[in-house]
Amino acid sequence: MNESTLFAATFVLYILAAFFYLAFLYSKREKPAATGFRVALLGLLLHTLALILRTVESGHAPFTNMYESLSFLAWATVFAYLFIEWKHRVHRVGAYLLLIVIGLMALASSPLMPKDATPLIPALQSYWLWLHVSVTLVGEAFFAVAFITSIMYLRAETREKGGRAAKSGLTAERLDSISYRAVAVGFPLFTLGGLVFGMVWAYKAWGTYWSWDPKEVWSLITWFVFALYLHTRIVMGWRGRRSAAIAIIGFLAALFTYFGVNYLLAGLHSYA
Amino acid sequence: MRAFLRFFTSVKVAITLLIILICASILGTLIPQDRSSQEYLVRYGQIGGLLQRLQFTRLYRSVWFVSLLALFGLNIIVCTIERLPPKLRRALRPRFEAEPKNLLSLKIKDRLKSTLPLAGARDAAKKELARHHYRPRVDEAGARIFVVARKRVFGLFGSDVVHLGLLVILTGGIISGLGGLRSSLTLVENQTLPVPQAGFSIRLDKFSTELYPDGNVKDWKSDLTVIEDGKPLYQKPIEVNHPLSYRGFVFYQSGYGWDWQNPSLEIRIKKKSDAAYLQKLRLFVGKAASLEGESLEVTATRFFPDFILDENNQPATRSLEPNNPAAFIEGKQGEETVFSGWVFAKFPEFTSMHSAKETDLVIELKEVEAPQYSVIQVAKDPGVTLIWIGCTLLMAGLFLAFYWPTREIRLVLETIQGKTEITAGGISAKSREAFEAEFNGIMNSLRKTK
Repeated sequence: MNESTLFAATFVLYILAAFFYLAFLYSKREKPAATGFRVALLGLLLHTLALILRTVESGHAPFTNMYESLSFLAWATVFAYLFIEWKHRVHRVGAYLLLIVIGLMALASSPLMPKDATPLIPALQSYWLWLHVSVTLVGEAFFAVAFITSIMYLRAETREKGGRAAKSGLTAERLDSISYRAVAVGFPLFTLGGLVFGMVWAYKAWGTYWSWDPKEVWSLITWFVFALYLHTRIVMGWRGRRSAAIAIIGFLAALFTYFGVNYLLAGLHSYA
Repeated sequence: MRAFLRFFTSVKVAITLLIILICASILGTLIPQDRSSQEYLVRYGQIGGLLQRLQFTRLYRSVWFVSLLALFGLNIIVCTIERLPPKLRRALRPRFEAEPKNLLSLKIKDRLKSTLPLAGARDAAKKELARHHYRPRVDEAGARIFVVARKRVFGLFGSDVVHLGLLVILTGGIISGLGGLRSSLTLVENQTLPVPQAGFSIRLDKFSTELYPDGNVKDWKSDLTVIEDGKPLYQKPIEVNHPLSYRGFVFYQSGYGWDWQNPSLEIRIKKKSDAAYLQKLRLFVGKAASLEGESLEVTATRFFPDFILDENNQPATRSLEPNNPAAFIEGKQGEETVFSGWVFAKFPEFTSMHSAKETDLVIELKEVEAPQYSVIQVAKDPGVTLIWIGCTLLMAGLFLAFYWPTREIRLVLETIQGKTEITAGGISAKSREAFEAEFNGIMNSLRKTK
């Protein structure tokens, strides 16, 4: 078994899991959701194996080019979902979140992404590569969960306003609270990985912990947006629609930090 | 003044500042920073000048952006101080609840009858709470006993620790900005240069480039020696990600290059008519060398490491990497130019010689060497220690705020119709489900205590 076979098998399993979760959405029976969970878990295990194999083969952390980092982000998103699902039982989130995962996996396997493991350029040869990238991406994966639950909140709220009952016990109120939980996990991780570890590494590699490079600024913007989310919520008591809107904007900012900066703005972070 | 203070301590100001900072930061990533006036003029036309006057082109160092950050810091200070006294009161002087009715209006609550006498129930409750790491305090008034038990009280201050961390980081940033030094030293091997404002010098002993088997760069290494008063004091090889620190100055491997002003070229001269003929010549740009056996002076008049024809069709170099080294070679017999033309090290077949008269000679550029230099960044950053302290506080505060929620259980024990009754209520700002489970566990074991 090589890495690309494992990757392909993982991809198939995620699609299968999404299929089961979709079946759950339309059939209203619990069983497909449980199957979806197991299939996604199996996918995560195979994916982990693929990442380990990639690390062994290339001799460095499995997120040094766009293919690798997309694959890792997909891994982190599945991990974040399974974590939230295990803690809070939110089957309905599965289908939508797995669609994001499938999107990431599809992008990773697109011919636009070079898949060859290239040797590390000098600037990336540091154990901070592991710490900085992995913790940041796991944090962003939790933002992805908050993004999905916030969108679901907006729909559920409209539905409940129209007088219809919540589906399978997942009320708008719970979705709002789960969004907050996901941010409560994602925000400290993002702060630690993206900002703190990033600053330490920048200091070691470039001699300055902060240089207002576009990627740095955009991660700061993302951080500010979630700081806004937390303050409006905790101090001003915002809930519901406005909170959900900020969480959605926050994830989009994180996504832009991850993606957009590389392709649209030039800067020091030109590698990945 | 008071009204202003009240306005300034409101969260609305903090939120407005956050939104302005977000917008300003975005603007700074859309306008390329720190470019030349000309570039802005080309890119933005008339508006270019305006952008520069508004300091949008060096936004993050502009007076208004730094003022915004300062205002943000000030807002954090006053907001934190304003909210501190009530929190301290809450932390230091726990409030007993005297009225069981009030406890029953809480979301997490319970009421139970105990077979124990009042004092026994009190001791059982204290023991059970302590078992769950709560610190109970007891007050008694007449026939009632009041208990307040708390744990993780420090969690109350999570957000304050975060804010303190941010302020320490901002202070560190200011100190870095005001007291920081940055310069870069370009050294060839065995060259010594004084480090600006440091009182010592640095010598490059050796510079090397390590390559992967496929030819990509694996690492750059510079062996450095710190020299003070002419004496070598400290030696360390530095490489990317592994700088050298000495007395507050940090030396980073930041670049490398070749001194293409002084290349040393090796050319080979062959004859079309005589396959056995081969002459090697070492040439320095601008210096003539004579070819033995032929009354010929050979000169390399120009050299480019990465030859290209620019838009005006003139020879130029694309980069400072030796990707396509080319030299312009002239051969003279007395005052008469016999041949002249470009020779390419990597493409000998492209050599195009203009010859004044018929010549039998073929010129090849064989080897190109130039002194290699290493670029070392020198930085002195007196703010960096504060930055790491601030980051630690920030993370510790986030942990406290999110994962160390203060939990408080208040009890009222009373005797009603000869029976001991316990009314309990729980207060926790976060993770209510986990707290509720713990609360119910405590109450159930109190129920069972006999």
